[in-house]
Amino acid sequence: MPRRASSVAVRTKAPPFPILPALQPIAESVIEAKLPNGLTVRLLPSHEVPTCSFYTFFRVGSRNERPGITGISHLFEHMMFNGAKKYGPGQFDRVLESNGGTSNAYTSTDLTVYYEDFMAEALETVIDLESDRMKSLQVTPKMLESERQVVMEERRLRVDNEIVGMVDEELSTLLWKAHPYRWPVIGWMKDIENIRREDCLEYFRTYYAPNNAIIYVSGDFEPNEALKLLKKHYGTIKPGPPPARVVDSEPEQKGERRAEVRHPAQAPMLMIAWRGPASTHPDTLTLDVLQYALSVGQSSRLTKSLVFEQELAVGVSVDWTWRLDPGAFTVMLELKPGAEPLRTEAALYAELEKVAKEGLTPRELEKAKNNLSAHLLRELATNNGRAHALGTYELMLGHWREGLALVSRYEAITAEQVRAAAARYLSAERRAVVTLVPSNGAQA
Amino acid sequence: MRRERTEGMKLRPLHLPPHEVRVLDNGLTLHVVKRSSLPLVAVRLVVRAGSAFDLPGERGVADFASRLLRRGAAGKSADEISEAVDLVGAALGGYANEENVVVSLSTPSRHLEAMLGILGQIVREPDFPEQEVELARRRTLAQLANELDDPGTLADRALSRAVWGHHPYAFESSGGKADVERLTRAQLVAFHRERFGPKVAHLFVVGDVDVEGVTEVIQRTLGGWAGGPPFAPEVPAWSGLEKPGEVVIVDKPEQTQVQLRIGAKGVRRGHPDHFPLVVMNAVLGGGFTSRLVTEIRVKRGLSYGAGSAFDMLSAGGSFTVSSFTRTESINTLIDVALTEVERMRAKGPSAKELATVQRYICGLYPGRLETNEAVAGAIADVVHYGLPQDWIASYRERISEVTVRQAAEAAQKYLFTGDRVLALVGNAEALKPLVSRYGPITVLRPTDLE
Repeated sequence: MPRRASSVAVRTKAPPFPILPALQPIAESVIEAKLPNGLTVRLLPSHEVPTCSFYTFFRVGSRNERPGITGISHLFEHMMFNGAKKYGPGQFDRVLESNGGTSNAYTSTDLTVYYEDFMAEALETVIDLESDRMKSLQVTPKMLESERQVVMEERRLRVDNEIVGMVDEELSTLLWKAHPYRWPVIGWMKDIENIRREDCLEYFRTYYAPNNAIIYVSGDFEPNEALKLLKKHYGTIKPGPPPARVVDSEPEQKGERRAEVRHPAQAPMLMIAWRGPASTHPDTLTLDVLQYALSVGQSSRLTKSLVFEQELAVGVSVDWTWRLDPGAFTVMLELKPGAEPLRTEAALYAELEKVAKEGLTPRELEKAKNNLSAHLLRELATNNGRAHALGTYELMLGHWREGLALVSRYEAITAEQVRAAAARYLSAERRAVVTLVPSNGAQA
Repeated sequence: MRRERTEGMKLRPLHLPPHEVRVLDNGLTLHVVKRSSLPLVAVRLVVRAGSAFDLPGERGVADFASRLLRRGAAGKSADEISEAVDLVGAALGGYANEENVVVSLSTPSRHLEAMLGILGQIVREPDFPEQEVELARRRTLAQLANELDDPGTLADRALSRAVWGHHPYAFESSGGKADVERLTRAQLVAFHRERFGPKVAHLFVVGDVDVEGVTEVIQRTLGGWAGGPPFAPEVPAWSGLEKPGEVVIVDKPEQTQVQLRIGAKGVRRGHPDHFPLVVMNAVLGGGFTSRLVTEIRVKRGLSYGAGSAFDMLSAGGSFTVSSFTRTESINTLIDVALTEVERMRAKGPSAKELATVQRYICGLYPGRLETNEAVAGAIADVVHYGLPQDWIASYRERISEVTVRQAAEAAQKYLFTGDRVLALVGNAEALKPLVSRYGPITVLRPTDLE
């Protein structure tokens, strides 16, 4: 059980799946609290390294946007570094760096996540910096214009001049017709150009309230002291109204969808996706197992078959990112110059059909589970990794304990469950296929 | 609130676990560090046989052979090896960088012994099966071709060629298309026999281990490893830029953004001015508040990223400024970057800037030693570059001792004036009139960097 840290500490039920003995010390170290304004706090003290990581997760991402202001979540993430009331423009990073720290952030379809890694002595400064911007972010027209240019350059880097980004963007618009997952997290260029200051301010009031955030602190600190500081700096921030629910209006897909991207390139490429379940659905973990069995390690099913035996791909990767609403199970195939994408596609489908009919071998199942468990352990090896992993578990699976119990949850998944999931989700009529077709031979 | 001077730093001690060193009878040096917060182990074999020692007629041989080690050894097929490694959730792989071949293994600790058995086999007795050689050749050629689609990779390569000229550091460790096409199995076997051996190798084992037990296992699995050279080879000396002032454009007409690199001579690893240089460079182009980021990104919105770095190797090093921007802003970007380097060269950092980066580097340093892999890598660097034994333990003190004057002298001495080269990737027709003022232009096609 979590140690009680204050009168507002929350008790939780033990999940039905046990936590690995090696992870028990982490589970036992977690201290949970909730401030009266709704801010959720998790403390993970450990004293191996004299540093800390401080994570703030906001429950907002591109799924909370609407057409016309796509990309605002991500643009807003940039604006969070451009000055608040106490620490003005440029001060956030300057104060942090001069206190032996560094910071970064990312925006996904579902979340906006900020973190600081820093020398342990700087904890109060970091709390002061983070709470200052949650309390009183300033969005000046000048900073907004400058940051807009930076983000447009980021879009040119990651999408407009980057083949994988380009193809991935096309794939999302193909796979989703109604759900906000159809537009890119970075947003459409025209929308980035046109987001107004008022949009940003409204966005801040709605989504950056303490009741929409979770803080994770891990590393070398004294928990009672930390909790006192958190209350002092965050306690006065007023809660916001509950954000509007995101409606998943995505209609059922009734047949394969295909698109092409023509662009100068050395070789064709394929990106193929199917809509899976939401992160809290039990099939999500079954698809984790399938993802690993298909693509992790040189002996994994698709790597062995498509890369080494049939030589129809140079590389294969499978992405199955947990999302709050049903997400995408995506296979990416890098081909050889001059390759025939249809042949590779056919070979991929043959392998997937085999899984849907016959399931995995016991050995494949064991390999996938062992690799998942090894990756889970590696993720938990650093202060930053622990705070990020447990925060992600809490937001995506409902509780951080669910994450620490993943090893035993994966252990319970059967070959038949994997077979059934492959059959249910990875069928021909549910897939979306984007082919990169090299145009003008790009100096072959 | 804004103090002019950061008060003296009180550094909490680093808890460095004991590092045991032992030389086996065959010359292999074994380093074991016991850390046991999680049941994981990182193993890193570093052999002084990197691509800088590849002969011109067999460029890429070290990397190609290293990647093939696990594709068949001691009579076991690639599949058998992969099955064994994947089954326990381990990761195993080999590659070459400029100076070393690195074979790395990461495994749950309870499978360490079995995995060291496999590591021993692929290191001692790789078979280089003919069909695996051909398969790897076809796959590598396709990967080399596909890399030409990445503007950042092209920019790095173009710069590397322009800076290092005919020195072996100029070439990618993988070799180019023509090199990979002509490598033979006999060359791979010869590489393994002649250049890859225990007397020029160090093995690092870090994590949840029993020191005596693991030493005994390694004695068994790698104690019988023989062959290779008696001494570590030396990387040839480098005489500096061949064509200072050159502007190289890699033509990708479809680009709406230009990748920019500005490069010049730097210093070798372990240079006496190391710490002043590291601190000075952090002010110029290190963290988010560096001068380059402030001037390029924050004040002007020219780019999403900008930075500078000293790349330090055994026989020399380079200094590089990197960024990117939309085609029409390229002149502003280059001019701002050159001005900032010149301003640093002329006046050095301020006391306040220096204090900030010293705290920044020192505060984050312990976090660079959090994982087993990171500890193995840090110790391997100390060994490889012949750095002082207390390099890691005293790193933060050495950083915090640097004075404003030392940092200014380092800037004066090492930042480029006229002796630099530019590499750009973008639309050459649009760029030529814009960048001709910086020096004589050479236009390359992406395939020239294949």
